Amino acid sequence: MDSFLEEDEEAPVVVVRGKRRRSPASQAVLQPPLPLPFLPPQPGKGGALVSSNEHKLNFKKSKETCLSYIQDALLQKQWKRAAEFLTCYVESLEKDYSREHIGPSEMIWRIGTEILWHHSQSSMKEFNCFMEQMKTLGVKRYLKVCLEHVFHLLCNGQIDEAYQNLSLAESWRFGEQTAIQDKEMKLIQAYRGLLDYCSWSKQKKILLEHGEDGFAELTIEQEMHGYFRKAAVNLKEIIKIPGVWDVFVKCYVDLLEFYGDHNEARQVLNEYAYNSKFPANPNAHVYLYHFLKRQGESKKSLISALKILHDIVPSHELMIDFNTMLQKSKKRKKHQLGLEVIFAALDYAGWKENAKAWSCLARQVKQIVISETHLDWIKHEWNSRKDWWPAFHFSHYLAKRNWQGNKSLSYEKALVAGILLGKDCKYFKYVLHQGCKAQLKRFWMLKKFVTRHNPVYLRISGRPDSSVQP
Amino acid sequence: MEFPAVLFPSYFGAGPPREEGGPSPVAGWGEHGQVLEGGPGRRQVQPAFVPLRGATGERWEAGGAAAVPVLLPSAGCWIPSPAPQDILYHSGPGRKLRAGKSGATLDFAKQMGHFFVDHPEDAFGSLGRLLHKNFYLGNAKLKRPARNSTIRMTALVEDINRLEARRGCPRQHLASRLRWFSHLCRDWLFEVPLGLLADCLHEELMQQWSDLLFDDSLTGGALAWLPLPDRGTRTPVGRLVHPGGQAMNHLYFQDVVLEELPHTRGSPAEFELSGRIRQVAAARVDGQDFVGVRSDYHCGVWRVPAKRGAVPTVLQVIHTDVPASCLTVSPHLPGELSVCTQSGTVYLWNVETGLQQLRHDPQTMFFRDHSPWRWSDFTAHPRVLTCADRTGLQCLDARAPKKCHFDLFKVGEEAGCQQGERVVLPMYLGRAHPSQYLVTTQFSVYVLDERLPLVPVLKWAHMMKAPPLFANVMPGKPGRSHKVLLGASHTQELLLLQYRGGSQSACQLAGTPQKLHDMAGCLQHLPTQLPRRHHLLQQRLSAPAAGLAATLQEDGPHKSMLVFQLSEAGDVFCQRLTHKAAQPPAPPSRDEATTAPGSSPLFEAPASSPHALGSEGEEEEEQTFYLPNLEVIIHDEEEDMGTPAPLEEAELLQEPCASPQPSPAVPSPAAALRYRRWLRALFRTWKEPPRHTWLPSLSQRRLFTRRDLQGTAGPSSLQRQVRQRLRQTMQERGLIQRWEPLAIQPPPLPQTLELAEGLDPLSARLTAAWAGDWEQWWEDRTSFSVAQRQRALRERRRRQKRAKGRRSLSASFTSSLTYQSELSELSDVGPSLRSPGRPLVLSQEGSPRAGSPPVHSLPPSPAPDEALLSSQSLRCRGIPKERRKTLRDYLSVWAEGPPEPPEPLGSQASQLCIPSSQSQLCIPSSQSQLSSASQPRRKRPRMGF
Repeated sequence: MDSFLEEDEEAPVVVVRGKRRRSPASQAVLQPPLPLPFLPPQPGKGGALVSSNEHKLNFKKSKETCLSYIQDALLQKQWKRAAEFLTCYVESLEKDYSREHIGPSEMIWRIGTEILWHHSQSSMKEFNCFMEQMKTLGVKRYLKVCLEHVFHLLCNGQIDEAYQNLSLAESWRFGEQTAIQDKEMKLIQAYRGLLDYCSWSKQKKILLEHGEDGFAELTIEQEMHGYFRKAAVNLKEIIKIPGVWDVFVKCYVDLLEFYGDHNEARQVLNEYAYNSKFPANPNAHVYLYHFLKRQGESKKSLISALKILHDIVPSHELMIDFNTMLQKSKKRKKHQLGLEVIFAALDYAGWKENAKAWSCLARQVKQIVISETHLDWIKHEWNSRKDWWPAFHFSHYLAKRNWQGNKSLSYEKALVAGILLGKDCKYFKYVLHQGCKAQLKRFWMLKKFVTRHNPVYLRISGRPDSSVQP
Repeated sequence: MEFPAVLFPSYFGAGPPREEGGPSPVAGWGEHGQVLEGGPGRRQVQPAFVPLRGATGERWEAGGAAAVPVLLPSAGCWIPSPAPQDILYHSGPGRKLRAGKSGATLDFAKQMGHFFVDHPEDAFGSLGRLLHKNFYLGNAKLKRPARNSTIRMTALVEDINRLEARRGCPRQHLASRLRWFSHLCRDWLFEVPLGLLADCLHEELMQQWSDLLFDDSLTGGALAWLPLPDRGTRTPVGRLVHPGGQAMNHLYFQDVVLEELPHTRGSPAEFELSGRIRQVAAARVDGQDFVGVRSDYHCGVWRVPAKRGAVPTVLQVIHTDVPASCLTVSPHLPGELSVCTQSGTVYLWNVETGLQQLRHDPQTMFFRDHSPWRWSDFTAHPRVLTCADRTGLQCLDARAPKKCHFDLFKVGEEAGCQQGERVVLPMYLGRAHPSQYLVTTQFSVYVLDERLPLVPVLKWAHMMKAPPLFANVMPGKPGRSHKVLLGASHTQELLLLQYRGGSQSACQLAGTPQKLHDMAGCLQHLPTQLPRRHHLLQQRLSAPAAGLAATLQEDGPHKSMLVFQLSEAGDVFCQRLTHKAAQPPAPPSRDEATTAPGSSPLFEAPASSPHALGSEGEEEEEQTFYLPNLEVIIHDEEEDMGTPAPLEEAELLQEPCASPQPSPAVPSPAAALRYRRWLRALFRTWKEPPRHTWLPSLSQRRLFTRRDLQGTAGPSSLQRQVRQRLRQTMQERGLIQRWEPLAIQPPPLPQTLELAEGLDPLSARLTAAWAGDWEQWWEDRTSFSVAQRQRALRERRRRQKRAKGRRSLSASFTSSLTYQSELSELSDVGPSLRSPGRPLVLSQEGSPRAGSPPVHSLPPSPAPDEALLSSQSLRCRGIPKERRKTLRDYLSVWAEGPPEPPEPLGSQASQLCIPSSQSQLCIPSSQSQLSSASQPRRKRPRMGF
């Protein structure tokens, strides 16, 4: 406790005084005057008249007031002012009666950390020092503080120090661990595994760069293998627990693939993607898909992997790949699925102006219309969309905006609009008019095409029409 | 639409929240949360890590010292919503005081009275018909046989009419006939059963109370900003959609020009609605703004083309049987909205096709929660809507709402919630990222990605004192952060957060959260007010917030953010934040020295602490005493407002020249001008608060005209002189210690004033005290010269004789003191009374009496009260005969009102008491007042023995 007080006294004071330090007489003068009236007089100094209960109450009250000042300063980014108040707040540690969720020591840790992150004159050394003190303040919070310390070191590029801290924290034992501490310990191990992996990949890089040195290669390989084992053990542990572990899974699979353990890698990825206890993470499916692709798996398994991704996230960016893959397939069923996929993707607001997706749809629709074999597919897709796609995609306003923004997008959209909504559609008419005015040849073609296939529109929209071609 | 290739690690568990907790004031600080390998340094030797929280964000600095009003206060008084004191029962005078203070008194009796008058058919219909034969309304006497079954109501009606005239009189309960009647028939006369009424009342009170704790009907906020495309003009223009009017039932579309201080342009388009506006939601689709407005039982949608001068048009209005709790406008399709009602029904509302019910479930979704609040919003898919209650969010497909749905957010272990955490406001962040969602709870704020349901991609404990009911998102351009504003209602808190990511990189919180100015904070920048006004102003400015809107403005390299905040009083305040490009070593003096005012907890104390309430009570009391004098001053100030203003402006304009860097702690001259204008308009709308009836005061207006009471017309030259002097001293910021005789004309000041105002002992005493000669006054008062007394006595006896014939006997019992005893007692008590009340300072301070004896001696004429009361004087003032009695009655009642002068000690009083049986009229002269006031005390020992 004493050491903490000293330390805390030191850190902000150095900070406050800035460049002019070491002149004790002027210190008091140089301390900037607090912009607010000071705290209520500290209880205890008030004399023996105050009963102990009242004393406690007063103390609590001034503690709260002080805390609200700190909070206020923090929310206004007045780090120096907050630091000054924090030095007062440290007194609250003295009589920590609270049984609250977050006690004063945790508050000091949180506030102090925040201040030291942002204070213009804080240094990494001070931060480390502060963190070391904070670790000793609460047993229950030790691991959490360690983790946060490591995070800060990592973000500041001090990988080695972070690694040391992680090792130290990993070896920490104190009685029985709570569930939260258990989780934190697992995270600490996992991050250590991640850092081991980083070292491993560094060595790998060196190895690949200077591949031919016989002797050096051997030692490096040995070192690498050491890192691999350490990393693999830790990473393997955490990815068994339900959660989002993209980083760790990626690293682990990379390690396994390098050493040729493809079965294990596949198992890990399958588990990560398909275990129902895990959240429906699109990345899990993406990783699996990329793995299968790397492994040169059959189209069928790739398609089935993407089909599942399509089912959970129809708006994923891989849907374009999926669509082209399905288009290339020879089966009709796949073509139909491809149409479904691209229609579903274009339902989403994020795809609204995606020229690639629109060209995929335009191409496929065009194919179908020309062949005139599977108009019912389009009809099927269009049925659930005809009441809102016109307003969502093919309004006059959008026609203008698309034309100004991206001519090829508006070309593709106009084609789709012309087929789905007929040649009288506002979007189609506007774009065609503009295109013809600009004397672009492909718009003439477009006009011809749509006019020729106008009856298709009538069939798709399900209107009774006598002139339907056989 | 990309999905981040790597997400921040997190655990995922199912089930109820495990973490115990509660609100913690600092839970959001000092945590990175998690780190992720990534960032720009891929190629470097060292891997680079980025934190989930604590990354650097953009720097936004407050442009002014406090928020500035945008609109002038609307005409009509604002009725504050009920305070806890209005609902809780407090016995004793404290309650009365409070009841008079707040605007919204829940005066049940009065409301019932209104009901009876407005709906007599509902209240008394059938019984009235039944009793028709038994109530007689004519003037003639009833004959004997009829008398058995009929009562004559004429007298009763007369009594009721008289009651109105006697409002506030403490003796009004003496109307015994009325009491008898109401006692007899209050149980059965009106047809609303009492039990039912009590239940309804209880329900209403419960509702009011729960609204006080947390009013969720305001969720979403009733303020919207519709930016207009700026074509070529320098100053951007937008449209503010806000409610207004006394009951907040007018909808305004006001054009606002965003200059340094935003100001209105032209008059607003106004719509009167049939209910209080709870929420205003807006979205822009295809270059048109669709504005949805929700009141309790009605929802409406307006269309406003995003063009200058475009007129808003109503598209459709729907009526709901159950109060609606949510209305959101689709950002995808024109004229589409979603509506939720408190019965748990979610509708998709299309202006063309009408309402489509998506869900009906009175139960909450994931676990049981009593709140009927429901919310719904749109998602990235125009046919998929979210549906929320306090326990979480679900997504529904409008095409097959029964079959296609998935859980987006659950209060539970999945999102790492705390126990007791509840959803407060969900919001679709489509403008920032098509698949992102914001969910606020009372503890934390979450950002969700609908592609990864149940796992928040961002979570942060916001540490706000009240749950954030309002939110606003300002999308950042690629590479820049999105800004999210959170606003609370009762505490007026405003918090600015920044986050980035969601497509290429995982979501991160950027920068530190920042507190913005609240409306109450500008109080200290306003000119000093009189206490009463200060209090009202404080009440007005600390009204709960009711809405939030914000806009980003980019003018070349200068980026700024304008934040509008609406209060329940209908005021819209605005503040500007300016973007500061990253300057790593920021001058420390800059951000440290400027204390953004108003946000300090110190300034919050007076508004809320019970101690402050108590002191206000005193202040109020004082005010009523001083009121006649004060009113004059206020009046002058208001009239003169035009004159001193330019002077102040000039001063303010000089200020920046004096100090090259104007500290933002002081409002800019333009802002100061704005404040003054706003204040002036505000005070114009404020009428003098109605005098409440809890004080035994009677309206004189019914008795006399003003001219009757006022001797001379207009202020005398002396008064004018005094006023001028007062004003002069105020300008010099001096202090008037006493009225120097030189400055005043020879005719003694107190006398003239007394004549003009009608002297009562208090004002006489105060006048004397003001002149610094209180001691003298006291002496004069206690040892009244015998000659004067004799004269007064004689006058009184004469009147007494005249009155004797008319007085009723009962009135004569009110006083039982002879004048003789009174006289002797007064002369005895005199000297002993002087010592306790005598201020020491005065006696040391030389003798003020010696300096100006003629000024301060009391007039040798009969006491003005008597002069006023004597029938001659009344007659000569043109008061008709029948009114004279009323006046005397009135004054005799009133005589008990004013506070008593110091009483003689008990021991002295007991010896002095010489009771007599001789009846005496109680005349409100200063002496008899003293005696009648101390009379009960003297009687007590006699009764005891």
